[in-house]
Amino acid sequence: MGVSYQAVGWNRQKKIYDWLIFAFCAVYLATFIGLTNVFNPEYTFETVLIRSTSTLAILLLHFILSIGPLTRINRKFLPLLYNRRHLGVTMFFVAAIHGSFGILQFHTLGNVNPFASLFTSNTNFSSLADFPFQALGFFALIIFFLMAITSHDFWLHNLGPRVWKTLHMFVYVAYFLVVMHVMLGVIQYETNPVFVVIMAIGSFTLISLHLIAGSKEVKKDKLISRMTENGFSKVCTIDDIEENRAKIFCLDKERIAVFKVGGKLFAISNVCKHQNGPLGEGKVIDGCITCPWHGYQYLPHNGQSPPPFKEKVSTYDVKVVNDEVWLNPNPYPEGTERPGAEIVASVKN
Amino acid sequence: MIQPLRKMHFRIWSIFAVLLPLGIISGWLSVPSLPVGKLFHPDQTEPLPVVIKTIKTADYTVNLRSDASRGSYQLEWINITALKSPSALIYQIKANGGIENAEIIGRIDPRGSYRFSLRNDTTVSNSHFIVYDIIHHRVIEKINF
Repeated sequence: MGVSYQAVGWNRQKKIYDWLIFAFCAVYLATFIGLTNVFNPEYTFETVLIRSTSTLAILLLHFILSIGPLTRINRKFLPLLYNRRHLGVTMFFVAAIHGSFGILQFHTLGNVNPFASLFTSNTNFSSLADFPFQALGFFALIIFFLMAITSHDFWLHNLGPRVWKTLHMFVYVAYFLVVMHVMLGVIQYETNPVFVVIMAIGSFTLISLHLIAGSKEVKKDKLISRMTENGFSKVCTIDDIEENRAKIFCLDKERIAVFKVGGKLFAISNVCKHQNGPLGEGKVIDGCITCPWHGYQYLPHNGQSPPPFKEKVSTYDVKVVNDEVWLNPNPYPEGTERPGAEIVASVKN
Repeated sequence: MIQPLRKMHFRIWSIFAVLLPLGIISGWLSVPSLPVGKLFHPDQTEPLPVVIKTIKTADYTVNLRSDASRGSYQLEWINITALKSPSALIYQIKANGGIENAEIIGRIDPRGSYRFSLRNDTTVSNSHFIVYDIIHHRVIEKINF
């Protein structure tokens, strides 16, 4: 780590993103607290804080979980993905305030350790109406905590992508725990059906978005070319690919992105080394293929990140016959230089 | 995203498409139809048969109960609307007394009914109680039978 090391590589986009998150949270909390003071002035400050942070955390969690499928359905949502981790960390802090004040308010009155009280004050595990719902929220918060502290790239590199991704997939377990924390908690006390409707709409929206996006991806994976010759498969025509952009194909187990750059076609793995982002949905910036998720870059002809970075992805052979693009799905070792396919020359031949 | 992860996401959300509605519906169906009468303390004692005195407000009902021989006494607290504090303690006090010399009777939550045994020397005339918010150190209610 050098003297110029910065924990977060701030840039203009990240600053704007974070300011928007901060402004939204501040406005939401201020509005919630203000309205409660007007309509329910008898509520204590702790109660208002517990309620406002809980609703904000749930709103942020739904928003975070919808970003992934939204970007797969429409590329216009990609900017939201860029700094999603900051949004996740913010959500954890808001949820932690909720949890801390909940424990303070409900478990610090007795002579039992508050955390022991959390798990022993209610043991009606066999009853839905009296279920110890606070424990569900506690476990969800532990998962969010582990995700928040490992959200930095430092942990991604040190834990390895597989462990890191597995850990962060626990967000779905946490989401289920949160839904049940709400349904077996506040819903049991607030008999107003509005709360149930809001939770149902949130869950239904997430399920729909994920299943729509997932089905779209399954269809893409099944679009395998049947025209095969000498190990090459015909995948599209050269006009199907925009300049400095790519088209993605799934010929074998994994997707391949074919980029059109400066009158040539280059094929590299579609999977970014950083967080498995879809390179083929990115574009060529300053001569480098740029991942749409977090901006990791690779050179089109060898799949290597420009120095001093060391990430490498597999490259593939691609050729142009008349105006047809043919792709060989057998990968070269990561970082192997390939000449690419000349578009104009091949068409003339 | 690599293909195994794409498949895993799809499977997880296919399971959630069943699991989440089940969780939400069962949570909703388990909401008690009469939450005010719901007993939060499973080990709560049975009510003594004689109601000696009752104080009723829009928010709660308090009964001073005893057995037929007036040998034992009981304080019954029934929340009608939700208590504004998350939890509160009930103290028995001397007439015009304060929290300083009070004797704790028990704890009540925002909803539900509660019964607490009182001292054997309890009479109607010395049945003075306060409901106290221990977090904010303030008296919520004074009950004088």
